[in-house]
Amino acid sequence: MNDCKTELEGEFALVRVSGEVDLSWSQSVRKAILDALAKARAVGVELSGVSYIDSSGIAALVEGFQNARGKGQKFSLVAASQPVRAVLQLARLDRVFPMVDSVEAARA
Amino acid sequence: MSARALLKLEMPAQAEALKPMRDALIAALRRAGVAAPEQDRLVLAVHEAACNVIRHAYGNSGEGRIRLTLTRQRGYLRFALRDFAPPVDPKRVKPRDLGECRPGGLGINFIDDTMDRWCLRPIKRRAGNILVMCRRPRTEGAAANSGGAGCGNADGEQVA
Repeated sequence: MNDCKTELEGEFALVRVSGEVDLSWSQSVRKAILDALAKARAVGVELSGVSYIDSSGIAALVEGFQNARGKGQKFSLVAASQPVRAVLQLARLDRVFPMVDSVEAARA
Repeated sequence: MSARALLKLEMPAQAEALKPMRDALIAALRRAGVAAPEQDRLVLAVHEAACNVIRHAYGNSGEGRIRLTLTRQRGYLRFALRDFAPPVDPKRVKPRDLGECRPGGLGINFIDDTMDRWCLRPIKRRAGNILVMCRRPRTEGAAANSGGAGCGNADGEQVA
């Protein structure tokens, strides 16, 4: 089931995404990430529960990353699932995004 | 050359129709004996092609239809995606430089990286376009290449 929730803890926001991120709702993911960046200095996007992602979902992550970088904010992908990693690799973005294995690492 | 369809599907050109299309496609690829990692790549490529039809050919109007036909020809899997939208200029549909880190425009790269060959053609006399994508599956026992699957005259349509 597709879901996107944001947890705000002080200056850190965690956007938890799960399900199949495709054109039908990737705009909701994009909005959640940009909203989180407006509220917190550091944002992690937790992707362990994402079983599928398309180019529109990747675009939402890229936009978040660029937005954060432009404002000097910390942005990372947390526990990206194998399907997400495979598509990032295909887009040659696997070495562009900061990727961490845990929420603690994203918060640090 | 005609070939028995492994999948024939017609769907509305709407984002909500993508998930059922992926499910049907992955089931057809599984039945065809395509290995799991390759199934994922192929499904992503066809999904991206359908997204482009929805977003660009039909301009996200929510109207129009898409027809997907999967066949096996001379050892190649051949995916034909037919729309009924205004003609698209094939010269404008090409992969972008992946060295640029920017959102959007990755779909054609996914198709280009996954498929052995692909071509997009407007359909002569009748409205629409057809995108034909061919890939020889990397499975044991795949038929030898005897010239490859053609990209023209897909589904009996006369292409410009």
